[in-house]
Amino acid sequence: MTASVREETGATVEQPSLGPAALRRGLSRLVAHPLFQLALLALLLLGAGQLSSGTVQIASFVLIAAIFAQSINLLTGLAGQISLGHAGFFGIGAYCSGILVKSWGFDVAAAVPVAVLLAAATGWLLSFPANRVRDVYLAMMTLGFGMVFFEIVREWNDVTGGTMGLPGVPAAALRTLTILGFRMDGLDYFRLVLLVTALVLLLMRNLTQSRIGRAFFAIHVSEVAAGSIGIPSGSTKQLAYAVSGALAGLAGALYAHLVGYLGPESFALPRSIEVLVIAIVGGLGSIAGQVLSATLFTFLPERLQVFAEWQFIAYGLILTFSLLVLPKGIGGLLFEPPRFIKPRVLRRAAGLTADPAALRPQGEAAESLVVEGVTMRFGGLVAVDGVSLRLEPGRITALVGPNGSGKSTLVNVVSGIYRPTAGKVRFGERDITGLSDHQVAAARVVRTFQDPRLVPHFTVRENLLLGAHRLLRHSGAAATLGLPGAIAEEAEHLAMAEAVLALAGLTEVADRPIDTLPYGTRRMAEVGRALLARPRVILLDEPAAGLSEKEMERLAQLIRDMKAMGLAILLIDHHMDFLAELVDEVVVLDSGRMIYHGDIAGMRRDPQVIAAYLGDEATHA
Amino acid sequence: MDDFFFSLVLAGISVGSVYALVALGLNLTFWTTKTLNFGQGSLMMLCAMLTVFLSSQGVAMALAVLGSLLVIAALGMFIERWTVRPALRSGGSTMGWVVSTLGFGIFLQGMAAKYFGSQAVAFPEVIFTAQDYVTLFGQYVSLQYLVVLAVAVVLILLLELFVRKTVWGQAVHAVSLDPELALVQGMPVRRIILGSFMLSSVLAGVAGVLIAQIGGTVDPAFGFDLVLLGFVAAVLGGMGSSLGALAGGLVVGLISKLVGGYVSTAAEHGIAFALLMLMLAVRPQGLFGRPEVSKA
Amino acid sequence: MQTIGRRALGGMAAGLAVLAAPGVLRAQGGTIKLGFTAALTGPFNEFGEGIRRGAEIAVEECNKAGGIRGRMAELAEVLDDQLVPDRAVQNLRRILDNKEIVGLMCPSGSGPTLAIADMAQADGRPFINPQAQTPAIVYPNGVDKPPRPNLFSISIGNLAESEKLGLALAGFSRIGVVHESTGYGVTGADLVRKAILARKPGARVTLESYNQRAQDMTAQLVRVQRAGAEAMLVIGLGADFAVIRRNMSRLNMNLALFGAAGAVTVPYIEGAGDLVAGTRAVNHAAFGRRPMHAEAQKFVDLYRAKHGTDRWYGPDAANPLVSLAGTVGSGYDCINLLLDAIRRSGGTSPAEMIAALDQTKDFAGATIPAVSFTPQNHVALKVEDLGTYEMLKRGDRVVLELRD
Repeated sequence: MTASVREETGATVEQPSLGPAALRRGLSRLVAHPLFQLALLALLLLGAGQLSSGTVQIASFVLIAAIFAQSINLLTGLAGQISLGHAGFFGIGAYCSGILVKSWGFDVAAAVPVAVLLAAATGWLLSFPANRVRDVYLAMMTLGFGMVFFEIVREWNDVTGGTMGLPGVPAAALRTLTILGFRMDGLDYFRLVLLVTALVLLLMRNLTQSRIGRAFFAIHVSEVAAGSIGIPSGSTKQLAYAVSGALAGLAGALYAHLVGYLGPESFALPRSIEVLVIAIVGGLGSIAGQVLSATLFTFLPERLQVFAEWQFIAYGLILTFSLLVLPKGIGGLLFEPPRFIKPRVLRRAAGLTADPAALRPQGEAAESLVVEGVTMRFGGLVAVDGVSLRLEPGRITALVGPNGSGKSTLVNVVSGIYRPTAGKVRFGERDITGLSDHQVAAARVVRTFQDPRLVPHFTVRENLLLGAHRLLRHSGAAATLGLPGAIAEEAEHLAMAEAVLALAGLTEVADRPIDTLPYGTRRMAEVGRALLARPRVILLDEPAAGLSEKEMERLAQLIRDMKAMGLAILLIDHHMDFLAELVDEVVVLDSGRMIYHGDIAGMRRDPQVIAAYLGDEATHA
Repeated sequence: MDDFFFSLVLAGISVGSVYALVALGLNLTFWTTKTLNFGQGSLMMLCAMLTVFLSSQGVAMALAVLGSLLVIAALGMFIERWTVRPALRSGGSTMGWVVSTLGFGIFLQGMAAKYFGSQAVAFPEVIFTAQDYVTLFGQYVSLQYLVVLAVAVVLILLLELFVRKTVWGQAVHAVSLDPELALVQGMPVRRIILGSFMLSSVLAGVAGVLIAQIGGTVDPAFGFDLVLLGFVAAVLGGMGSSLGALAGGLVVGLISKLVGGYVSTAAEHGIAFALLMLMLAVRPQGLFGRPEVSKA
Repeated sequence: MQTIGRRALGGMAAGLAVLAAPGVLRAQGGTIKLGFTAALTGPFNEFGEGIRRGAEIAVEECNKAGGIRGRMAELAEVLDDQLVPDRAVQNLRRILDNKEIVGLMCPSGSGPTLAIADMAQADGRPFINPQAQTPAIVYPNGVDKPPRPNLFSISIGNLAESEKLGLALAGFSRIGVVHESTGYGVTGADLVRKAILARKPGARVTLESYNQRAQDMTAQLVRVQRAGAEAMLVIGLGADFAVIRRNMSRLNMNLALFGAAGAVTVPYIEGAGDLVAGTRAVNHAAFGRRPMHAEAQKFVDLYRAKHGTDRWYGPDAANPLVSLAGTVGSGYDCINLLLDAIRRSGGTSPAEMIAALDQTKDFAGATIPAVSFTPQNHVALKVEDLGTYEMLKRGDRVVLELRD
């Protein structure tokens, strides 16, 4: 909810320069192909036997770094939360598993899950203070977390071995590792870690293409917009921290049983920075990019010992200029941007048809949204002053007034972004005053914004499906595992999204990333997204601004459709002709006060309105 | 009040003023771009290293310091132009500038290790020596630390005067509130931002020289830990507040020394970061900061 | 300062020359291959680069004398870990993959050495530890239990050092120990306290820790002061010791000041300047004795011939820095001990070499005049091999004089 939440409007129009684009497409298809994945896995599983044990060990380090990088990818790349203290989670996983196995006699197969859970719980706990801050403050807080963890590990001698570290953890390197009674050497362990990594990558891809992953991106781009369609930023972030912590903890636990010695220096700030570097150079959001980057940063320093002297310099240069040279990292260089709906869901939805009539509120009492004497004060400024109005089902109410008259503020109050200084907002029997934005959306009061707030790199279809997030009932685990129930439910809502795409005339551009499309199209997409959240009340904040004549017609039709569905509609706009054809009644605000309420013809005659509003807007309209 | 307590308090004020000086430098870029230079420690190090190098080549100390500061100022320009600006322009909500400024710091550290060696080298006494002190309440107060404190206080006064009383200060204020609006109003926003990075770097250089002479040595990793504590001081006092930087620095210094003295010296370092997390959780805007304007 | 870089490069070139050495040897079953990982670059390379130089000199001397039974020695795997434990583990795995490597040296520093110790033991090939001080490296289960069979140490162990420091501090009854918060500092401080209390049960020992590269030690110092200490011991690295010494000066603290071997290095002398006068420190006695014993003198001459009076050697050709023994000499001795074991046993299998090492008796080392190992005792350095030095100002130079 701060001013710093900014939309990415810089449209990256990709020129079809055939060479690299075709290469990217080819590579992406190859990497995404299940046969290729299986072949690669088989090759590594079988081929590892031919390698020296040193190479196998380094390869194990690579895999662990890849899992660790996914944890940053999830938190920073997907959910947009920076972390400078991830070594803390890594360390928690490592020490927990190491101590449980070494001192408590746990089997590795039991200790690792416990370690993962502990790291996840820590992440979940950290999310509460972290949720209070953002940007640079978040960087500081996570930095502090990492430092505090490091100091605790160093001083808590009885448990962690303090500065002397924890030697003799059963590990592949020491040939002391047994898992469930099986003795494991370095090669066996590599194979095990490889399977774990493959699983993590698979789940990570599923997650990215699920309601959870899309919700992460939504809060990443704009927490306010996410809230407006019922995605709670707080609990979404908690989940992101917990899952990210779990992944880092997993990497740490695997690390513990790879090397067999845990010293505090291995979990200090440099490791947090290293993983951030791997993730960023790999390309945030790109799963395959992370793996390649982990390989690069783990293998090369070990193989190119001669350049040790240059390591800092090279490292520094890569970090400094990676953004300039490779803004989307290795992943962006080699692969096409990822997509966020599972192909299985797309295929399945293609076979379904949905009737937009299903969007009509059904079997519920027709209830009105009532605003009673709402006042909103910012310091000395009264933005909204005792406004009352009523939005009835199947009626369109226009909210007009000069700039700064309090229209958007009123919408912000109703939609839960501001808590009013005085007054009440009721929906039916329910008092929704001061509920948070996602709760208001859950109460089926949904809004759009003056400036469309969509996820820029999502396609139109993906953005629309985001609207249905609130209604998807399957659990995050089901989504991540790609269970049939989750697929079916998502496909059902996607089919509805297709129907709304058709209604809004967006079917042709459904596969285009939203940031490559003109402004008018984005507006329509945002209205469509709001509609998919199944509102009973919809608040449209200047939806017609910047639209062409033709687009305005399309929008008007869509609004009429919504009216026909029985939605209560509040429409902010300046175009009087546009409003005249649509609205049932008009509310006029001036300096926060309601100066007129009635039909549009009466408004045009109202002297107060003419003085305050039409005086300077008549020419415009 | 015994000597023990006084010694700790004086030490807390001494190191606190060091943190404050570092935090002041960090604040300057925060004013104009809401960014921090995560490689600030390397600038401190490089300025001290260059001073050692120049004076070992027979350059007079004052000239050596001045020359080093010029180099550092130029690096500040470079950092703005090549690390911060591209990151901000890419509109990254993932804070690319954290990575790029940190990267440049690591690069400088690597260069220093390559060309000046990675071992600690002796740093000459620039102003006063370790044996120079005055007595206060029967305690010895080091003049080297007093210089740091004095520089910090004078800088705060100058910065406050600058922001409140001069046209350029007003312009900086405007840029910090809304750079786009400032640009529309015809302010030289680019130059103001560039200037803030140069000045911030120069402050880092000054801090580097003043601090290196206290410890007596400087090595390529010098400054890194200090900047972390500078962050703590800046956040505690409220990012962007000059007075806050001093207050934050003193609070960190005093609390860590008192905890070190009365509880355990092992906890001295950890407590600063625990304090940082606590402050961010309870009052993110810090002691003297105003909460960020909330607007949907 | 710039010359160091160039010399390091020169050293590297020399190393490469050794690696590329005569192909004649292949006819006689190849070279005797040795290896190690150490901090060759990075902030702690004073020690890592040091042992590499020592190792190179040892190999060159061996080959100049015609090798061992016609086989030349070779440093086949020398890798850089920058004192990062993970990197040490990765490097060592790579070195151990080379089955032709017959003997190894432990990394420079306790952190990496602790990280690789279990792995080294599991491998079974002989390792000699040049620098890491923690007893756990050789005696993982306590010093009264048997050592790791294949790990030997010639470093200034915490045990012998604390014994010697206990002796040196015997004259005081209130002692402050300020140590860095690392494995080296924490174990060292703990052992020193035990050594002092064993000698003088009534003594009051205060332990205070600090983080490496802390800029202010006032809290530690005033706590020591409040405990009424008459003497203070610092266990840490030279640059931090300089900070402490200057901090003492600011607090106008005057008490007898002692340093552990790691503290009395060039950064301390450069960083603390004139203030170092009077500081007493424990270090190898060999380089302080005049005349030096033959092997020490030989090594010193070889080093000076090869590298001149550089940072490791110190400016005074006649009097090398005492720290040269620990930084460079220990690497030289490690490699010589491995080669000596091969010479005596005639074989290069781990069993043969370890058996030979276990029987090492009064081997003349540069840093330790008589190195002996037994199957129960894998630590060569004894209290007598250490000396207490006092730092004195002679003209504009600081010299260390052996006191006992």
